[in-house]
Amino acid sequence: MKMNLKNSLLVISVASFFAISCNVLSQEPKSAVSSDHVIYNERTSQIALNGLYSQLQNGNYYGGNLLVLGDVSSDISQSVGTWDFYRAMDTYTTNVGNLEVEDFWEQAYATINQANNIIAKVPPLDNVSQETKDQILGEAYFIRALAYFDLNRAFGGVEGVYGSMGVPLVLQPTNTITENSFPSRPSINKTYAQVESDLKQAIELLSGSSTPTRASEAAAKALLSRLFLYYQQDYGLVEKYATEVITAYDYQLLEDYASIFISEETAGSIFELSFTASDQSDIRFWYFPPSLGGRADIALHQSFVNLLQSRVNDERAKLIAFDDGVGVYYPTKYQKVSGKDNVIILRLAEMYLNRAEARTRKESPDLNGALSDLNIIRNRAGLADTTGAGVDTAREILDAIALERSIEFFEEGHRWFNLVRTERAMTVLNGIDRKNSGPVSLNEAGRQVWPIPQREIDANKNIEQNEAYN
Amino acid sequence: MLNYPITAFKTKTIVAFCFIFICIPVISQAQISISGVVTSGTNGATLPGANVTVKGTTNGTSTDANGYYKLKVENEQAVLVFSFLGFVTQEIMVGNRRTINVALNPDVAVLNDVVVVGYGIQEEGVLTSAITSVQGAEIQNTPVVSASGLLQGRAAGVQVSSSSGAPGSGLRIKIRGTSSISGSSDPLYIVDGVPIQTGNFGLDTGGATTSAMSFINPDDIVSITVLKDASATSIYGARAANGVVLIKTKRGADKPLQIQFGTYFGTQQAINTPDLVNGSQFEMLQNEAARNNGEPVPYPNPEQAINTDWANLIFRTGSIRNYDLSISGGNEEVQYAISGGHFNQKGITKPALFRRSAARVNLDLDATEKLSFGTSISYTHSHRNRARNNDNISGVLPGVYFYPPNLPVYQPDGTYTTFSIFENPVAGATEVDFDMNVNRFIGNVFTEYEFTPDLFGKASWSYDHMLVREKRYNNTSTVNGASVNGSALSTTAINRSWTAEVTLNYIKSIGDHNFNALIGGSMQARNFERTTAEGQQFPSDDFRYIEAAAVQTASSTGTSSGLASLFGRLQYNYDRRYLATLTVRRDASSRFGENNQWGTFPSIGLGWAISEESFFNADWISELKLRASYGITGNQGGIGDYQSLGLWIGSSYGNSPGTITDQLANPDLRWETTRQFDIGLDIGLFNERVTITYDYYSKYTTDLLLAVPVPSSTGFQTLVQNFGELSNKGMELAISAGIIQRQDLAWTATFNIAGNRNMIEKLAAPFNVYNRDPFRYKEGIPMFSFYFHKQLGVDPETGAPVFADINGDGVFDINTDRTIVGNANPDFFGGLTNTVNFNQFDLSVFLQYNYGSEQLNWNRFFQEHGGTRNTGYLSSQLDRWQEPGDVTMVPKMTRENYRAGLRPSRFVEDGSYIRLKNVTLGYSLPQELSGKLGINNARIYFTGQNLFTITNYSGLDPEVTATATNPLTKGIEFYTIPHAKTYMIGFDITF
Repeated sequence: MKMNLKNSLLVISVASFFAISCNVLSQEPKSAVSSDHVIYNERTSQIALNGLYSQLQNGNYYGGNLLVLGDVSSDISQSVGTWDFYRAMDTYTTNVGNLEVEDFWEQAYATINQANNIIAKVPPLDNVSQETKDQILGEAYFIRALAYFDLNRAFGGVEGVYGSMGVPLVLQPTNTITENSFPSRPSINKTYAQVESDLKQAIELLSGSSTPTRASEAAAKALLSRLFLYYQQDYGLVEKYATEVITAYDYQLLEDYASIFISEETAGSIFELSFTASDQSDIRFWYFPPSLGGRADIALHQSFVNLLQSRVNDERAKLIAFDDGVGVYYPTKYQKVSGKDNVIILRLAEMYLNRAEARTRKESPDLNGALSDLNIIRNRAGLADTTGAGVDTAREILDAIALERSIEFFEEGHRWFNLVRTERAMTVLNGIDRKNSGPVSLNEAGRQVWPIPQREIDANKNIEQNEAYN
Repeated sequence: MLNYPITAFKTKTIVAFCFIFICIPVISQAQISISGVVTSGTNGATLPGANVTVKGTTNGTSTDANGYYKLKVENEQAVLVFSFLGFVTQEIMVGNRRTINVALNPDVAVLNDVVVVGYGIQEEGVLTSAITSVQGAEIQNTPVVSASGLLQGRAAGVQVSSSSGAPGSGLRIKIRGTSSISGSSDPLYIVDGVPIQTGNFGLDTGGATTSAMSFINPDDIVSITVLKDASATSIYGARAANGVVLIKTKRGADKPLQIQFGTYFGTQQAINTPDLVNGSQFEMLQNEAARNNGEPVPYPNPEQAINTDWANLIFRTGSIRNYDLSISGGNEEVQYAISGGHFNQKGITKPALFRRSAARVNLDLDATEKLSFGTSISYTHSHRNRARNNDNISGVLPGVYFYPPNLPVYQPDGTYTTFSIFENPVAGATEVDFDMNVNRFIGNVFTEYEFTPDLFGKASWSYDHMLVREKRYNNTSTVNGASVNGSALSTTAINRSWTAEVTLNYIKSIGDHNFNALIGGSMQARNFERTTAEGQQFPSDDFRYIEAAAVQTASSTGTSSGLASLFGRLQYNYDRRYLATLTVRRDASSRFGENNQWGTFPSIGLGWAISEESFFNADWISELKLRASYGITGNQGGIGDYQSLGLWIGSSYGNSPGTITDQLANPDLRWETTRQFDIGLDIGLFNERVTITYDYYSKYTTDLLLAVPVPSSTGFQTLVQNFGELSNKGMELAISAGIIQRQDLAWTATFNIAGNRNMIEKLAAPFNVYNRDPFRYKEGIPMFSFYFHKQLGVDPETGAPVFADINGDGVFDINTDRTIVGNANPDFFGGLTNTVNFNQFDLSVFLQYNYGSEQLNWNRFFQEHGGTRNTGYLSSQLDRWQEPGDVTMVPKMTRENYRAGLRPSRFVEDGSYIRLKNVTLGYSLPQELSGKLGINNARIYFTGQNLFTITNYSGLDPEVTATATNPLTKGIEFYTIPHAKTYMIGFDITF
């Protein structure tokens, strides 16, 4: 009996030990998939494309950060809270370690890499129809263009105004690090040229206007209209693309200005990002008071509030509220609880203002056309025409357009970029009032572009820093 | 029942075996009962496991964990034989004595104390490695909350730091410095042969950890052994580079039933509370800043300000109590140790609470002469009331610091005053339900078989199951809850791991050649799952389950890993003079990249017992041994599951699923490799009355796992690569001396000191870490270096801070003039324990010290804001410059002097300290008296902990680290709960 017991125990112990040894080493991820097995048919291609939008809507990019950066560094918004990195942007003291600037840089490139994956991996698939491929690739090209455009205007600048180096161009997906992973900075216009090329690819591949939550041919044209304000200052092309967007599709300026934000996917929207309660944007969080679930870190400059409040009939001026905790006004375009407002990136009103600006600035100006476009925007906001109110010369019209842009697009992150590209930043951003300090000014021309994150400089010796931050 | 029939086992299940402890063994029939305590003649320490036999019979027993024995003899002529490895055997005739206490003298010729090593035990005399063991009285007589706390200040080279003074919070143990940067630097813990999953399983509350080791009832522990050098650790291969901690719990013995009951209870108070300004001072400072900035004064009447002492509303007197009951005993066939304990601690800040109930059953069964079985089974339930603290704007302690004192707690309408984004600390402490429940089962079943008298086999299976449940409800009176009508979170995490091991051990002596060979194999797999549900928009605060919430979200996730290993060890000595240990382990881990699936970790240890040589005849030197070791160990702790793979993860756009890039592939990913050289000297003087152990070591770690920054233009920020290199060099010295050794008075002092020098040898690129980037990592400096603007002073004329111009370009620039101003590593640290036994009294005084480390008082960065914020101030702000001639380090309160990008080095303070960690005074009833009361032993004691601290540090506690979840940080106080001053009284009774 004893021998049997012993032997059976020994056999069981040894056998069970080796039986289980085989599979402990093959552990498969359960909440992720291998990059080799992610895009392999039509459905997975579509899902990777959804992921591309998801990259774009990340809180570090259009989910909040870029919109805050674009306004807080201008005369629209100010930092009133504790978050140093926005305060540094607000007070023109930012440095190479600015986390928010770095986050934006990184997320824009994450978006680009995702687009590169789609652009490289979808075409060889033989189980996806050409039509579907075109649609997927067209959207991917558009988003890549948008990311390069945003990067280049923030870190590169505008030729002829400030800046000479663009942001590095990476057009192939990265799956492992190789010697090709250390690009240097091309010229500013080389990067813009890539944006143009990608947008033209998108136009080739896409057609129509689709739903605004997806990239479309119209969106690509709208972005081209914006691009040429920065690139080559080719106002003929700005006007051409703006006109195409205005006329060739069914977009309309909504009667009710606020409804473009309150409703989703309206006729006034060319490209917007879809946010839901489980996939929220941060923009409201940064502006709203704590009692409403926000952080109250960013608010409007009082001078801008004064401007809005001086325009009694302006529908747009109504989209602000007072935070009596901090004693400041904050914008309420994006106000839905749990941050589920769709974020609008391109809308029809901008096409009118782009065209107005182009018509004023092109070689043979069309000032009447420009004023007509400008007044379309003013009238929609409940205001009278500007004609006869001292807006006659090209300079005055451009000033009026700039003013209209600031009011039309506050909280949407346009202002800083518009000021820089129109060479107004150094003069306008002078003695800007702040809640928590004396007035601040942008005194250094080099600060019209943001610092390349030090992390990037450290990781890639081929990258050159912008001169103001060396 | 005495001879439990073996045949019955065949038909019974293992489960039945587990419950055999209910069979109380029958006590043999004899006339005279003798009992006593066996101690060591050198230091008075009790000797557990010493053999006591009646000469010429088979009657015998062994001493329990307290050195106590009890047995019966036929008559007064019986002779008791006391023997213990490494001690001279003594024979004593019973005569008319009924209590026989024996002090055994060490056998100088043999010196074979036994220590626990990996996969076995070894005689200390032939050891070739650096091992520190904490056992006996040091453990028995100290009430501690956590097993890890037993090591603090008692083991040379083992640095134990707590994340905070919150009950049940984590301890960070570093053995011989930090040999990993981004990976884990936790040692490997083995409890009764079971590798224990450590790490932080709780929700992040701002950096504080909950200790995974808190599941062990410290009352169950017999010994903790720390394996330090490669010769000792390499048997654990890819998990050994940070050292190994082996914990043994009490087991039964062949002796009559013994029942032990212990309890202690006491009160606790914070060693320090925040020194904040009052309401008037706050308004006066804000006014001053406004005046200095040329702005209107915000508070016209500072004298009439409201004054709320926020700290006083949060800090409280805590309490602590513990009960422990154990029974143990056995006969020749079955030995059992069964224990249960309950611990309850009310923290020194609201609402912290920690409760633990633990039960353990350890059984040994000698089924036949050759076959034996055993189990070690423990089950623990712990409960914590938690609060957010540290780096957390919703935290309770952060609220204490940030809320201006001129605000009332409540508004006239009875609601909480809210301020900015911060949670009202009173609301945070009382209106947030945040609790954590952990259930942990650890079971180990083993069988041993003696094939021949020289060859033993052992197989062991273990299972570690941990269930962590957390619930949090922010009700509508909190800032977090108000805006969403209440928010709730509920998570359940399950961590399961099993281990199977087989070993074969061959022990043989041929003449003077002594061999001890071990080979074995091990398999381990781990599986982790977490399910999280969140709800917002509750109908009212009466509803707290997410079912009632209008908005609900949920998610689940999981990971797994596996490890397969083969290992072997050969110990050889010639005549106990020339010693050698060869060890090798091969580990394969599912975490390693496909190009590096197996790692090999060899080591060699050599020793020369000089005192064993015939030519050595210095009588006063009882032991002199020189040893050296070299070996390679690994650390796989920093590699996440699936880290080597290129991954995409799920995402969504609108309501449609999406996938996004997540991680770059690295098929070459492998363990971190540490090469360690150790040279040590063991000295025993005056018959081991004084022992000295000295070690010098040099560790060099290569293939450090680093999230190497890659150009973000790739779409990724980092790639985990084996890239960096790190060195640690240090010395350890431990001295134990029996200063007085008399029958009625014994005074023993043990002292240890260790110093470690850490250096980053290679790094991909410099980087900064943590909130406001206070730490810098770059080549040529130690880890945990503080990166600041070096503040030289404040200009007495203008009040402006003066900073060093580091790059020497003549101007101070906020971007380019930051530099390293110190680091959080101590120059040396250790402890001093004095134990005095005077008749029935025992006294132990334990001092712990730490010298030369910097501690970052990060509270000051935010609470010495100079008026740039409208939040509260530390009183240190009152030292600001006010008028020309003032000499201070705190600048004039202007916006410029306190601008956001400044990192003034005045916040990096000297963190050196000496702390009276523990004083215990005990009294044991005399044997005559306790015998009359029918008890074996009774002791009452008083303990005081953290009674005083000598330090220059201006914060609450130089010992805390707010950022325990982040391996890259250390030595930061950041709204962290300080340690408690504790006064306790306790009893131990043994029947």
